[in-house]
Amino acid sequence: MITIKFYSLLRLLVKIEQVELELADVPISTVLEEAAKKVKTPFLHKLVQDGKLITGTIILINGRNIHHLDKLNSRVQDGDEIALFPPGGGG
Amino acid sequence: MSYTVTDARLLRINLTKKTIKVEKIEQELFRKFLGGRGLGSKYLIDEIDPKIDALSEANKLIFANGLLTGTFAPTGGRYMVVTKSPLTGTIASSNSGGFFGAEFRNTGFMMIIIEGKSAEPVYISINDEDVKIVDAKALWGLSTHETTDKLVEAFGVEGAKVACIGPAGENLSKIAAIMNDKHRAAGRSGVGAVMGSKNLKAIIVKGSRRVDIEQLEKFKEIVKVQNGMLKAHPVTGEGLPALGTKVLDNIINSNGLYPTRNFQSAIFSGVAEVCGEALVNKKYLQNNTACYGCVIACGREVALPNGLKGEGPEYESGWSLGADCGANDLIAITEANFLCNELGLDTISAGATIALAMELYEKGFIPKEDLEDMVEPRFGNSEAVVYYVKGMAYRETKLAAKMADGAYRLGKAYGHPELAMVVKKQELPAYDPRGVQGHGLQYATSNRGGCHVRGYMISPEILGVPEKLDPQALEGKPAWVKIFQDLTAVIDSAGLCLFSSFALGGDEYRDLINAVLNTELTTEETLKIGDRIWNLERQFNLAAGILPDQDTLPDRLLHEPLPDGPQKGCYSQLQKILPEYYQLRGWDEKGYIKTSTLKDLGLV
Ligand code: SF4
Repeated sequence: MITIKFYSLLRLLVKIEQVELELADVPISTVLEEAAKKVKTPFLHKLVQDGKLITGTIILINGRNIHHLDKLNSRVQDGDEIALFPPGGGG
Repeated sequence: MSYTVTDARLLRINLTKKTIKVEKIEQELFRKFLGGRGLGSKYLIDEIDPKIDALSEANKLIFANGLLTGTFAPTGGRYMVVTKSPLTGTIASSNSGGFFGAEFRNTGFMMIIIEGKSAEPVYISINDEDVKIVDAKALWGLSTHETTDKLVEAFGVEGAKVACIGPAGENLSKIAAIMNDKHRAAGRSGVGAVMGSKNLKAIIVKGSRRVDIEQLEKFKEIVKVQNGMLKAHPVTGEGLPALGTKVLDNIINSNGLYPTRNFQSAIFSGVAEVCGEALVNKKYLQNNTACYGCVIACGREVALPNGLKGEGPEYESGWSLGADCGANDLIAITEANFLCNELGLDTISAGATIALAMELYEKGFIPKEDLEDMVEPRFGNSEAVVYYVKGMAYRETKLAAKMADGAYRLGKAYGHPELAMVVKKQELPAYDPRGVQGHGLQYATSNRGGCHVRGYMISPEILGVPEKLDPQALEGKPAWVKIFQDLTAVIDSAGLCLFSSFALGGDEYRDLINAVLNTELTTEETLKIGDRIWNLERQFNLAAGILPDQDTLPDRLLHEPLPDGPQKGCYSQLQKILPEYYQLRGWDEKGYIKTSTLKDLGLV
């Protein structure tokens, strides 16, 4: 099972904190698409545009930013935790 | 009545002699140092011996407006307090937003230089040209909120703004802040103690003069475009207005950088209870608020279920009084934050000092009798957090009296200064540098000691703005740090808010500056002004005896690897990147400024 957690503006938008998916060894892009199917409010456009991560989007797999893994092709394994932050974090 | 941006004068007030003088500011200085942090530093360095005791009569306290403060430039409402810091011994420059700065500029004065020391408590009243030193015995001992209300009432003119100290500043706490508009703080480096040492309780300002912009139409156009950029950017247009700075709690914790229990861990198990999202979901957040001239509006107006109301907590304050103390009670954290504002304490330093007291006490380094029967400082005890904020402001117990001088002196008093998470004796903010190498370099080299707003490397290294850098990579980081530091010095001296830089860059600041100075600076030349200011501050510090060996981090962050989280095993690699930084700055390998660099910057 993979846990996807929504944070910041995304959480305020989709109004849920997390979803769980029965997936294993898939790219993060697949995880995102499957999560979008499970959540009523569309949210993917807040993270990805034209197949690319929007500047400032933070997607972590077990705390590691996919920017420094294999971006949207980064592999996700059973038991992994995904954190999604749309651009907008600052302080 | 109006006056041009550089037709500004300064007020020189001597509290010993009770004299008030008006002086002109040389035009050339605006081009070299802009205003605010740069101009204030230039005057301080020219006028005081850097070696003096910061709390002695010989120190000067400078309130300096930025070049653009009080104009309608985006976020153009900030003023800077420049003095020698009693906490660090370095130059201090702490800036604040709200409305005080803009009102101060409307008096027609660019700066106030306060000298000497009054024998009795006084406040300064400025109503355009009418400047008075007034008895403040009746205000001594009052909170910043009470002081503000009483002064505004006595002033009798609508719209007057107040900057003042609370009991912490009066009691010369080395982590005391100066508060303006009740909730806004020139917080860091103990500037409130310098004000207290001069027996100066407050400054109230009211002005009717407006800054005149010569190239008004051009300036209006630039501002319109830049406000549009701020509104369109996801951070300044959406994130900061909706969640404020506390959007960072989950981001920083998930990245494994959220210092917990005095930097003993970088993951806080209580984050869900205290994060920005919780502040919204628990319905404590009432509204967002804006400073003068700001379209971002990142301020938080908060009401607690127990009836208390105020502004905050900001990310840093919520962290220092929360996770750093292992406390996950959002109500108590917010209450402690309100108390810091009312008593006039810097929230970052206050929380971090309590966190150190907790570690020292739990390790048995603080004898129980020093508590004088007050609450035990133990991690996770939010009652202790609230109590010690108050205890420090009033130096109430043997322990709290030591805490009032900040973490370094507390650690030293109990034989363990190495446990104080400080750089140059100033408490570190809410990002563990073991997980973010550029930010660690920026902490180590900050001219005012441990600080995140001298070059916010979290933006590229964690947030991915303007582009994402690997936080553990070393290559290229010194150059990034230098540019961020130089640009920040420009923003601070222009009187703008650092948050504008999520959406605006060097070209935008250059355009604003050129429009008011009638210059044609390139972006490179604009950044060179920042470089000049940086070196000017460094010159002060070196002359004050704060030597390059203090460009470092606490041992814990250099040698103890992160114990948990996604960056487990990492530690700061500062020593590997510091030499390149020195080189880029034009300093010798030991960290002293080369004469050629000083010449190039026009500092000799
Ligand atoms: S962004 Fe926030 S702190 Fe900065 S000027 Fe605007 S409201 Fe004030």
